[in-house]
Amino acid sequence: MKMKLFAATAVLALGLAACGGETPAPELVAEAPAAEAPAPEPAPVATASIGETPADPVAFMKTRSDNYKDLGKNFKVLLDNSKLGTPDMAAVSAAAAKVNEYAGLMGTWFPPGTGPEAGKTEAKATVWTERADFDAKLANLQTEAGKLVTATGTDAAAFKAQFGPTGGACKACHDVYREEDKDK
Amino acid sequence: MTDDTVISATPAQPEPKQKVWDAPVRLVHWLLVFLVAASWWTAEEGEMQWHYWSGLTIVGLLVFRVYWGFAGPETARFSRFVKAPGDVLSYAGKLFRPSYRASFGHNPLGALSVIAILLALIAQVVLGLFASDTDGLESGPLSPYVSYEVSQDAAALHEDAFNILLILIGLHIAAIVFYLVAKRVNLIGPMITGSRKADDVEGPRAGIAPVPLWRFLLGVAIAGLTVFLIVWLPTTR
Repeated sequence: MKMKLFAATAVLALGLAACGGETPAPELVAEAPAAEAPAPEPAPVATASIGETPADPVAFMKTRSDNYKDLGKNFKVLLDNSKLGTPDMAAVSAAAAKVNEYAGLMGTWFPPGTGPEAGKTEAKATVWTERADFDAKLANLQTEAGKLVTATGTDAAAFKAQFGPTGGACKACHDVYREEDKDK
Repeated sequence: MTDDTVISATPAQPEPKQKVWDAPVRLVHWLLVFLVAASWWTAEEGEMQWHYWSGLTIVGLLVFRVYWGFAGPETARFSRFVKAPGDVLSYAGKLFRPSYRASFGHNPLGALSVIAILLALIAQVVLGLFASDTDGLESGPLSPYVSYEVSQDAAALHEDAFNILLILIGLHIAAIVFYLVAKRVNLIGPMITGSRKADDVEGPRAGIAPVPLWRFLLGVAIAGLTVFLIVWLPTTR
């Protein structure tokens, strides 16, 4: 319980910090045991106004990385179920909703000053220098993720048909804008 | 007339040959060479669908080779070539003496290399079967049985442990070059043709005895069934 409260405070602090608030509380952010946090704890979702560098770029980038890991975790639920004859549609719908939620927020995850020059990240500098193309690929992901939510609400066949295009939209961006295997 | 033809077809009395490696052992060996290289290349290039099939084929080959280590001919059997540490040391001691004679099948030192490479390959495929990428876009066939975190750890180990395999392969090749250059023993030829000159070697002069076909077919069936189950079972959960 204490742990949960602590994590929640850290998330809140980070959220504020990310929005450029007056309370950056970097020591709380640094101590937040993200990896050891209990499983049901939702990953922190940091957002920033486009064009504004967050107060603590390193913490912001760590949150961004955690968000992507949580996204990957949800995508694995979709991948695992896509191989089944009878997918668990409740789990699939929940995961698809999460993927769609992240896709919607992702545009705010790359404010200036959070690239490779600021610290450890797999995001390439071209995310910022070729922003129009990056945004176009993101818009495509949002479209496909939206279709995925619709498909998972329909039936297993619709889900399986839309799984590939959604994954493809993720990959289209990773292939161009993500550094290979920098940290493992 | 006909005699002439026969004579010219066999110009000299063939040298006595000792059969060392049977066809299945050689085939498994060279397929592993090819598929380990293919797995490396496909992983580097991100050709994960090919990597998946390459890895699964290696699974089949390993299952067969372990089975063949119990059911195959003399030189394929673990009980025949895996030696006690004392024997390994005494072999190493004899290596540079005039009394040295090339072993029949794996020598006691080479046996260590065989076991190490087999174990490294087994560890490698098991990790690969459970692995998944960070994005949850590509995964090994058994990945659905484990959590995202476990499959990530498996993937990281799969990548790191490959270096161990590379080191073992390097040692293996270095040893072959050592025998070729320092001992004038060609180990590559017999792994291709199965036989070598019968002069001055250990073991029966004719070499290994043939193994009944059904034993080979049983091994192929076991290997095939294992691969099939690995692919099919996760889809029935």
